[in-house]
Amino acid sequence: MPPEGASSALGLDRVQRWLQAVIVHPGCVADALASAEARVEVPTKAIEEVVRPSWSLTAVERVEVYHGMYLLRMVEALESDFPAVRHFLGEEAFAELVRDYVERYPSRSYTLNRLGDHLPQFFAEEVDRPDAAFLHDLARAELAATEVFDEEPSPVLEAEALRRVPQLALAQARLRPIDALRLLELRHTVVGHLEAAKHGRPAPRPRRRRSHLAVYRRDYTVLRREMTGDEYGMLSALVAGQPLGEAIGAAALRLRAARREETVFRWFRSWVAEGLFSAIDCEPEAARGSQPGMTAASRMG
Amino acid sequence: MSRNRWDHPDLGLGVGLRTAHFAHILSQRPELGFFEVLTENFLDTGGRPLFVLDQIAERYPIVMHGVSLSIGSTDPLDFDYLRKVKDLARRTKAAWVSDHVCWTGVLGRNTHDLLPLPYTEAALRHTAERVKAVQEFLERPVVLENPSTYLEFTPSAMSEWEFIGRLAEEADCGLLLDVNNVYVSAFNHGYDAHEYIDAIPVDRVCQYHLAGHTHKGTHILDTHSDHVVQEVWELFGHAVQRTGPRATLLEWDASIPPFEVVHAEVLKAAAWREREVSRAA
Repeated sequence: MPPEGASSALGLDRVQRWLQAVIVHPGCVADALASAEARVEVPTKAIEEVVRPSWSLTAVERVEVYHGMYLLRMVEALESDFPAVRHFLGEEAFAELVRDYVERYPSRSYTLNRLGDHLPQFFAEEVDRPDAAFLHDLARAELAATEVFDEEPSPVLEAEALRRVPQLALAQARLRPIDALRLLELRHTVVGHLEAAKHGRPAPRPRRRRSHLAVYRRDYTVLRREMTGDEYGMLSALVAGQPLGEAIGAAALRLRAARREETVFRWFRSWVAEGLFSAIDCEPEAARGSQPGMTAASRMG
Repeated sequence: MSRNRWDHPDLGLGVGLRTAHFAHILSQRPELGFFEVLTENFLDTGGRPLFVLDQIAERYPIVMHGVSLSIGSTDPLDFDYLRKVKDLARRTKAAWVSDHVCWTGVLGRNTHDLLPLPYTEAALRHTAERVKAVQEFLERPVVLENPSTYLEFTPSAMSEWEFIGRLAEEADCGLLLDVNNVYVSAFNHGYDAHEYIDAIPVDRVCQYHLAGHTHKGTHILDTHSDHVVQEVWELFGHAVQRTGPRATLLEWDASIPPFEVVHAEVLKAAAWREREVSRAA
């Protein structure tokens, strides 16, 4: 039962709960003031017992200033991290998305930088939305970029260090990825949309086709690499800690191409050159005898 | 004129460090007294912002300015956040750490707005106790900025300047006097900006902020998106006559122009400061 008047025991906690409930309400300010969350603290008609009118604005209009700025701030934060989602949806639909998103996943952090962490999850929950599956993929790609942007720097495994690993140890060696690396397997192509947003071109129509991306950071610049499913499979296996020899063997078996070994080695050299690994761990006993995959692995450096 | 209570140095003229100006600052090394960094932008990153900040901190004094301390909130203080603030202050050798007299959320939420407090005795006691706890944790005095506000609470029992002045005395903290905010709030609430400035305890003022705003006719929004208006320059001059020279920072956070434009505004602030200080001497 809401109190009859507001002023009787209007402590700081009630004032704050009330103002926040009004500000973050997704509807207009009149709906916000009449919402159950607001009325439980301050009856709608008692607003002037809480907020004074000014020489130029009513109490409601003064609250409306804060109410309007809240959504603008959330839109601004999310469009800077998800420019391709914003580009695809357009201004109005993006603002509606943000209104719904922050109602379900409001900021609980001291930083706005992680406001969009749940956006892919949000789209996954939007089962009735026809573009949800595509937007889920697009949001994953953009979220990955924000994550690698902020990751701690890692040392980078140089090709020279790889060459110093004894050949006998290579097959059982495991590679450690840099922290600023995310591997994405997607149900749609998204690179065209990322590029369209970057260059201000019209967004293409969503296309359902499996695609694979590595999103990573090199020299404080966020980069991405489109990969085939086979390349993604081998890189994922290495990132998951599979020994080098096993990963190479499995990848080579999957490839149908005549020059499959060359393809695998080209991928690997390229990953090392891009700085995707931070270290290589060798088991000392592996160096004592010949191991499966050793010959192939020894060509990696 | 007097020094501030902690003998914080007059760092001269500074600007807020913004991503758009990183390249210019690193390559041109502009003549400035200090940079102010938005604390939260550097707390959870090991990426380029921190890499750039480390380089800038080697060449310029740094002051940290936060927006999520939420010192007036009825939610518990966030000591995880404060630990990170303390670590960043050590890393950058920050001359001081500031935030706002406001609250940003309750019930675990953050609205990311600097929301006004009712200026009551209870709110004053509550906020002063929290300031003391924060200062004890950070092992340094904090500096709090007067907010720009768009509403006043009916239960308020004192003016904003009385609240802020008493808060500084009771919690023994410093003040960051944002002259544009005084102007904005004075317009919005219909009070005298000079009366506000004259009531601020001089020895608590560690820093000034200057910025542009957006006039909506019925109210002014503190948007940091334009040049400082003449009335704010004059108010700044009036304040400097009282306090003497204090570190003075120009904020420009929206529609950010090339660094040269911001720097030209800083030079204008330097001229105002010099003229008013010599006039008061």
